[in-house]
Amino acid sequence: MIWMILLGICSGMLVTLSRQLNGRLALSTSAMQSSFWNHFVGFAVLVPCALIAGSLWPSEAATAHWFAWVGGAIGVIFVAGGSWLIPRLGAALTGGLLVAGQMLSSVALDLLRGVDAMLSLQLAGVVLILFGVYLSRRA
Amino acid sequence: MAASTTISEGPRRPHPLEICAALCAGALLTLMLLSNGMMAAHTTPIFASLTAHGVGSVVAALLLLVFWIRWPARRRGASGRAPIWAYLGGISGALTVIISTVVVNSSLALTGTMALGLAGQVVLALLFDCFGALGLERRLPRRNDLLALASIIVGTLLIIFARGNAG
Repeated sequence: MIWMILLGICSGMLVTLSRQLNGRLALSTSAMQSSFWNHFVGFAVLVPCALIAGSLWPSEAATAHWFAWVGGAIGVIFVAGGSWLIPRLGAALTGGLLVAGQMLSSVALDLLRGVDAMLSLQLAGVVLILFGVYLSRRA
Repeated sequence: MAASTTISEGPRRPHPLEICAALCAGALLTLMLLSNGMMAAHTTPIFASLTAHGVGSVVAALLLLVFWIRWPARRRGASGRAPIWAYLGGISGALTVIISTVVVNSSLALTGTMALGLAGQVVLALLFDCFGALGLERRLPRRNDLLALASIIVGTLLIIFARGNAG
């Protein structure tokens, strides 16, 4: 259990590490180039992983919904955005505001899809997040 | 971009455009996770990450090509070379997928994985800022930065646990 907790913390730290490295690369190149290298190097690492885990092309892949294929294209903009922001806002504020945008949009998505899991608690969370975003603007 | 002219003047207030960009990028992350999650459920998490990175490489390459053809004058050259390690962000990105797949399938489940991931992400980001790690500018967080972060984190935890209890 303790190992799983440490791994969980590690996975979050890797997100920050990746954003910091991409941000450094963007300083010498551009945000979009850092996004390209992030995806390209990640792909090169994942090919052997996929081979070890099974195959490069599971048979179900052919029948996947089109939306399942566009995540990578969305990710290109997301990573480029992170690389653009991190030299401007710093790692902590960049991470915090990205999480804020992620949570606000996912609550909105849940509402649209009619999932109302403990709605009052979620709305309290939304208010706190909005307050946090407001605070980040104040000197 | 006007924002880049004030960078080295110590702590400054984030520009509304930057805040807006960060919130929109966060919303893109929601869509990306939805898409990748769909692929992972249909096939395997590793294949989902592999396709996301493959599709992402092609799309980014095409966008770069378009930029270079349309605006050849903006090709960079003299702004210094990036160290080799700066190209390795993709490794930790790929590792994240594999590690979080393992943790999600443990007794920590999705709620625990998200909460711990958030903690790790913020703690390391604060350390990076305080030390100016990996070639980025050193900046001590202002009091309001910390309050803003705390408020966002508590709000996020409320949402994560509300969902966890309902599921």
